[in-house]
Amino acid sequence: MRRLAARLFSLFRRSRLERDLADEISAHLELSAADQRANGLAAEEARLAALRRFGGVAQTTEAFRDARGFPALELAWRDLLFAWRLLLRQPLFAASAIATVSLGIGANTAVVSVLETALLNPLGLRHADRVMAVRNQFVKLNLFQAETSGVEFREMRSLTEAFSAVGAMEGRAWTWLFNDEASRLVGQAVTPDFFRVFDEYPGAGRFFTSEDDELSVVVSDGLWRARFGADPSVVGRTMWLDKKPYRIVGVAPAGFHVPPTAQLWTPLRLDPARVLDSERGRNRTLSVFARRKDGVSETQAREYVRRHVEAVIADDAAHGGEFSRNGYDVELTSFGRYIAGDLRRPLLLLWSAAAVVLFTGCANIAGLLLARSSGRRREIAIRIAVGATPARILRQLLLESLLIGALGGVAGLVVAKLALTLLTRLSLSSAGFLALASLDSRLLVYGVTLALLSGLLFGMAPAIQLVRESHPARVGHGRRRWSRDLFLAAQVCGAFVLIVTTTLLMRSLWAIERIQPGFDPQRVTTAFFLKPQNDPGFFDRLQATLTASQGVQSSALANPVPFAESGVISGFAIKNRQELGVQGNAEGFQITPAYFQTLRIPFLRGRNLEASDTAAAPLVCLIDSRLAEQFFPGQDPIGQEIAMFKGWARIVGIVGAIRRTNLEGESHPAVYYSFAQIPFFPWAAVLVRSTIPADSTIRAAVRQTNPSVPVYDVRSLEERLGATLEVRRAMIMLLSTFGGISLLLAIVGLYGVTAQVVSERTREIAIRTALGARPRQILLPLMQQGLRSGLVGLILGLGAVAYAQHWFAGMLYHVAAFDPIAFGGTMSGVLALSLAAVWWPARRAAGIGPQGVLRHE
Amino acid sequence: MQTDFYHGLLAAGTLALMILKTLATVGSLHGDAIARRIEQVRGGQVSLNQGTVHPALLRLEQEGWISPQWGEPETGRRVKFYTIARAGKNQNHIEQGGWERAAGIVAKFVTLSSAQA
Repeated sequence: MRRLAARLFSLFRRSRLERDLADEISAHLELSAADQRANGLAAEEARLAALRRFGGVAQTTEAFRDARGFPALELAWRDLLFAWRLLLRQPLFAASAIATVSLGIGANTAVVSVLETALLNPLGLRHADRVMAVRNQFVKLNLFQAETSGVEFREMRSLTEAFSAVGAMEGRAWTWLFNDEASRLVGQAVTPDFFRVFDEYPGAGRFFTSEDDELSVVVSDGLWRARFGADPSVVGRTMWLDKKPYRIVGVAPAGFHVPPTAQLWTPLRLDPARVLDSERGRNRTLSVFARRKDGVSETQAREYVRRHVEAVIADDAAHGGEFSRNGYDVELTSFGRYIAGDLRRPLLLLWSAAAVVLFTGCANIAGLLLARSSGRRREIAIRIAVGATPARILRQLLLESLLIGALGGVAGLVVAKLALTLLTRLSLSSAGFLALASLDSRLLVYGVTLALLSGLLFGMAPAIQLVRESHPARVGHGRRRWSRDLFLAAQVCGAFVLIVTTTLLMRSLWAIERIQPGFDPQRVTTAFFLKPQNDPGFFDRLQATLTASQGVQSSALANPVPFAESGVISGFAIKNRQELGVQGNAEGFQITPAYFQTLRIPFLRGRNLEASDTAAAPLVCLIDSRLAEQFFPGQDPIGQEIAMFKGWARIVGIVGAIRRTNLEGESHPAVYYSFAQIPFFPWAAVLVRSTIPADSTIRAAVRQTNPSVPVYDVRSLEERLGATLEVRRAMIMLLSTFGGISLLLAIVGLYGVTAQVVSERTREIAIRTALGARPRQILLPLMQQGLRSGLVGLILGLGAVAYAQHWFAGMLYHVAAFDPIAFGGTMSGVLALSLAAVWWPARRAAGIGPQGVLRHE
Repeated sequence: MQTDFYHGLLAAGTLALMILKTLATVGSLHGDAIARRIEQVRGGQVSLNQGTVHPALLRLEQEGWISPQWGEPETGRRVKFYTIARAGKNQNHIEQGGWERAAGIVAKFVTLSSAQA
């Protein structure tokens, strides 16, 4: 150990140590000579005798140096310097190789950093690894990821052998009066165990206990800093929310944002009526999270829950329920997956694409190295002839490619940094948490390791081949460069896979964009507001103000609006059915009558809701055609009664079904109530169809009607619609970039290899021309090699897509995984480009006349 | 050939021990004097290339068993003197014990084989 340190140390003081060594040896020789002189020898003879007794001075010096430092390391350093000088001598090659590696590494590192953020710990929570989200599904009703009702929350809490804490949250929004200014705050009402689920401790004050009444509040770190100046004495103060005094009991720790938008948390006190067995499936408004006990794995937790669900279904069946018919189940999702959701698959696909780019790049550089190597065979042959071992040469060559890899890796990290800035600025509104993605030290290690590995990958084959070919006994022998063909095929294969995938996704996007959502989103502006309390005429006055505003063709109030969140999906029952209880799930809307006219949703049958459907009048509702078809097949639903939010409501009309949250998926059936009859949701939205952009019109109208009402989330319906496609658009953008890089590399590779072959065979071609070969006879064989590799690459690519298609099949819409147009188009495109890439240099060869020999010599 | 084999074995295995032993007995010496001293003790049985002491000295120095000092002897020239360090004294004992055991085993083996023959 000590020796190791001494040797390492010696690496840094070479010149001093060299001087000491010289001094010591000459002192030794001089003293020894002096000793000989004392024995009576003449001066010159004494010097010679001393040298004789010393042995070889040079050998001793070398042995000394070897013992002093690390000879292998110093050798490697010299090799590295040599490799560096070689690179500098070929700046064009060096630059293109390094750029190629850096693109591959950059893409990979950036995607992995996003992946890490999205999949492992999207919100940057410290202790969320054991948190599972609990959601419900009804497989046979095609209802997945449904929120939880009070009964189910109560049941999850009873699974104490699996979970150490179970908490629930329910969305809330408040109007906050602070310094005479109204603003809207969003947050969650949470059960006392909520914070325990995430194993968090308050930044100041405390969290909730079961004694806290509803007028307590925990503020987020962000709000605390922005609005209270991070003042710790804020605990105990009062906040006026919805004109009620809330007492601040604590501040959440920095970095705790569940959900990402939350600014406040208040206690959630579940009405005991809500957890009665009869209420199962009603009011699915709770987001439930459970913390796995120490030592309980995900699989074990799922097993506990599965047993519980079986018991529930059996009990339900015994009472004539239909859980088993609906395919009722409880899903447990890891918290990371819960937050990142659908992004998992696109990101993994992107990662594979980035890997393909890197792989294509490696094949490209390997091809370049091979092409370059013919110029180096002489050098290597001489070195082997004068005694260098093949291992030594191999090491030297690998060091060269490792150097390219390392430089490419460093450049790649810069690329990754830039790409990440772009990627996070893409601002996927559905994935705001991606802004948290950043390059940490682990990712730097990942990038550099990947770069070095790719250096080995692209360096190995050319180096081995070069050493083998350069063996003095084999110089001048004919060479069959199968590996060159292989690299070409690999590049074409990679490019083909990426471009086919991009094309398939693009065709899906076009198919989706052609879908009619069931309403006309053009020129409709939407904005949410919080309903004012103690202002009974607000809706009517707001409606009147809007109607009178300039440019407004039609306006309505609604909650929710299409392609915005904030809807409530709930179970409903149908009167006079044999099966009792919940029959199915539907989304409940509250609207004003002008809603259908404003959105141009077709009115099919019956009557619209009317101003006479007041709170005092009998409860009525409209249903959409989807609910009518699914639950009233062959019957007339009008006049029937269903119960969803509040007792039995008579169906008075049927409207067209719309796509509610995304274009490609089916939506839940919808039930429409009037605001007057279902008033208990605290927010609503304004919808305005207008000839001019209506953002300011809406704000002005709301302010004019009641200045204390905050307006938020003002967006046109087309924007909301576009937002659901932005993940797809971003995917296509990134994938087509990756595909473009790969294709460019493959084309350059094909061109380069053909040009290389032409230059190697110039002499032969010239002679053949002189002997009367026609240009065609010269051109075709030259193109053959490149084209053959290209075709092999295409076939390999087809195989790869066939193997990988299940990865992206889920992202395709109305396009088969083997869509003939995408495949045929890409294949002919790649082939045409390949043809051009090999034709260009081959054509030059065909133009070589007999004089080419002379010029070539 | 056989003399060469044992010569190499002696040089490689025992030089360090000899240097430690020399320094332990005599105190502070420079490279030339250590080499001559070893030659004297060996009584010219095996000739030593004096140069080989230097890599050996370096190794001992790296292990921390001997400590070097630059000094000016009578000639007024910069000369490196070596003294045995504390760690070296222990090591001297360890190596000596090891050597004695090894030599004992070999000696036993040699007598045993010749007795059978």
